[in-house]
Amino acid sequence: MSYRFVATQRASTRLATAPAEIAEPEVAEVTVTDKPWIVIVWNDPVNLMSYVVYVFQQLFGYSRKKATRLMRQVHEEGRAVVSDGPREKCEIDVARLHAAGLWATMEHPS
Amino acid sequence: MGIFRARQRWEPGPDDSMVLSLTEVELALLQNLPDDMRTVLLTSDDDPARKRLFPRAYLDPTADAAETEWRDAVYPDLVDQRFDALDLVGATLTRGVVAGRDREWREITLAAEEVQAWLSVLNDVRLVLGIRLGVGDDEPPELPDDDPGAAAWEFYDWLTYLQGSLVETLLGDFDESDLFGDDDLDDDE
Repeated sequence: MSYRFVATQRASTRLATAPAEIAEPEVAEVTVTDKPWIVIVWNDPVNLMSYVVYVFQQLFGYSRKKATRLMRQVHEEGRAVVSDGPREKCEIDVARLHAAGLWATMEHPS
Repeated sequence: MGIFRARQRWEPGPDDSMVLSLTEVELALLQNLPDDMRTVLLTSDDDPARKRLFPRAYLDPTADAAETEWRDAVYPDLVDQRFDALDLVGATLTRGVVAGRDREWREITLAAEEVQAWLSVLNDVRLVLGIRLGVGDDEPPELPDDDPGAAAWEFYDWLTYLQGSLVETLLGDFDESDLFGDDDLDDDE
């Protein structure tokens, strides 16, 4: 949770030095934490292309086409964003991808 | 394979079950696999193969607090799932019906969850072997047949074939050319 903690803390610090407007900070915090996180799958030399397609379909319910397009992006560009959303959802997505043996990480685009 | 038709490795059955056909020699090669994988799961966190099975979630190296919190939440389940899959696969290795004119095949009927366990274990084993052998994007090394590494590469290739044939069976109407083709996949959804 360190990211969210830091973001909130920074917002509060800024507020503390600002003139007494109490309601504003909430909006700022929501904006920061609501920005979606992204889950990235990285290319690796072992996982089979067909297997990666299968995993994307099974885990995310993607169509064969979409799963194949994402797999190809991983293969050709080295990485692809396969899902996004709130932090908790992304943490679960990463764990499910790891359970399937895919190399996945998550990050918060700034 | 010669003039003999390749046997259907994974024959789909009702309720997502499958019949897996393996020769006795192949079964013998697989017998130690669950125990070998349990050893990897129980080894130290520094082991590169183990690291590959349990990578970081947060790429940002400064996000250690978030990483630790995430790991504390999901890690026990990730480990348990892998042990469970090994137990399921291990149990299937000791059963099956002898088949073939020379009784050289064993047909093992797998329930849906056992099929998934096989898929997961085959992939994990290949990840571990991939690290141990240094599998990269380059062609595998040309090793003389008597090199101890040659057998490991051969085993890896065979596991790749076994997993690949399983995935293709699971995908059903799978068209291999889609994986490499230039056709436009962009107008989806």
